[in-house]
Amino acid sequence: MSDEMTKIQPERESAGDHRILTDQDIRKCAWRWCMSVNGFNYETQLAPSVVFAEADALRKIYSDDDEAYRKSIENSARYFNVTPPVAGILLGAGLAMEEKNGTSSLEAVQDLKVGLMGSLSGIGDAIIWVLIPTICGSISAYMAQNGNPVGALLYVAVMLVCSLGLKIKSWDWGYQFGTQLITSLADKVAALTEAMSVLGLTVVGALIPSVVKLSTSVSITIGDVSLGLQEGLFDKILVGLLPVCATVIVYQLLKKGVSTNKIILGIIVFCWLGAAFGFIG
Amino acid sequence: MQIAVWQIVLITVIAFFYRVDRLGTQVCNYNAVLYSWIVGLILGDGMTGLIIGASVQLMSLGVAALAGSSVPDYPLAGMVGTAVCVMTGQDEGVGLAVGIAVGTLAVQLDVIAKTLNVFMAHKQLAYGQAGEYEKMKRITFIGPLLFGLTDALPMLVVLAFGGDVVNAILSVVPAWFTKGLSLAGGLLPVIGMGALLTYMPAKQYFSFLAIGFVLSAYLGLSILPVAILGGAAAYEVYKSLTAKSANESALANEGGLEDE
Repeated sequence: MSDEMTKIQPERESAGDHRILTDQDIRKCAWRWCMSVNGFNYETQLAPSVVFAEADALRKIYSDDDEAYRKSIENSARYFNVTPPVAGILLGAGLAMEEKNGTSSLEAVQDLKVGLMGSLSGIGDAIIWVLIPTICGSISAYMAQNGNPVGALLYVAVMLVCSLGLKIKSWDWGYQFGTQLITSLADKVAALTEAMSVLGLTVVGALIPSVVKLSTSVSITIGDVSLGLQEGLFDKILVGLLPVCATVIVYQLLKKGVSTNKIILGIIVFCWLGAAFGFIG
Repeated sequence: MQIAVWQIVLITVIAFFYRVDRLGTQVCNYNAVLYSWIVGLILGDGMTGLIIGASVQLMSLGVAALAGSSVPDYPLAGMVGTAVCVMTGQDEGVGLAVGIAVGTLAVQLDVIAKTLNVFMAHKQLAYGQAGEYEKMKRITFIGPLLFGLTDALPMLVVLAFGGDVVNAILSVVPAWFTKGLSLAGGLLPVIGMGALLTYMPAKQYFSFLAIGFVLSAYLGLSILPVAILGGAAAYEVYKSLTAKSANESALANEGGLEDE
């Protein structure tokens, strides 16, 4: 992968003498990139949004050459899919290349996009769509269970910076630094992802006994002594024993590839049985 | 409860906005608590919204992240669940069950929107090649329109007919049915827990799972202090990981020198 990365490094590393696009032009692309997944289709995925975002900037680059502009549009309408908040790194770098070398750079722009799409999405998805929603989502749900909306609002504040803020800013980074950014970040991001998993797992460990509600009302009568299974046995073994068991079962089912919908249905049926025969509650 | 026209319109617009934001600006995303709370507030019962939103959010942990796969539209499930719950006065479990059912069906509409967008993409490129650049840009808005409708339409149908339909059904079903649903409401968050564990390095860092469990189950800490402790642990892990990789590269350099 790293060989491939060095090969498709753009020759130009900084926005130098031949600047056609202004900072405002790049910023305009960035805001228009808020179309993101709204342009999703099964054929070219996010490409329509790329066309929408870059149309004006490309027009400026090829202002006197309709033929070249159309070629460039055709190129940006090719298959594209990257975690949207970090996509600006690739798209901004591509614009910088086209600004310098015009249509002769189109192939390199395409190689750059295709070559780095996967690794950039790997970084982006792990942090923006997995770690942040896990941690912020857990906290906001936990607080909401107690009737407190603050967690949900904090979640919005975090995403405002880490998703929308990054979506806008990444275009600047891509345009200024090209793709060397991705390679230099990759090492640190791997460590960061792993460290954040530690935080995530601690939170999940705390959530299992507090948000999964499962207990039994069954009691066993031996002679004159009545023993409630929940207080007399399960809680003595481990507080939250049943929620832990339920989590382990769901975990195993998911690992075996059972679909979420089937598990949801299974849980509802199980609870109907539990209500009918009175063994849960 | 009978809901007013302005409430129906406002909630439908919010459902539309939710989807366009989730795909576009991506600020509120899958924030089921937020949307359920807002719908609850509009209907005059923010508390119900928070409770249903919390259940949906917990279920969706680790599921929503796997984009593209066919999982329920959780924030829509939360909004529908809240609306049904407030409109019918039924238990939260009932609202949740209806919400999840609607959220699951809405995914089918999503497939239709993504297919129709193929035609939009072709048309866009055709306009570009024909030199009609303004039309090329403008036609892109078909995308958010289609996606917004995939959530606004189910929401509208539920608001218009849902309350009566749900109440009519519930008036004939036995007690174990509704009791079972409310029990399921408490148990369903387990799906999010299980899903999270499948893609986090649960085996490698099992200790932290255990620590979090004890902090909550035995010491009764709430989630924020647990998250702070987890963050402290994460920071130490990060430091040791980056130090290790720095060491390794230093060692590699030394080795190179000795070879010479």
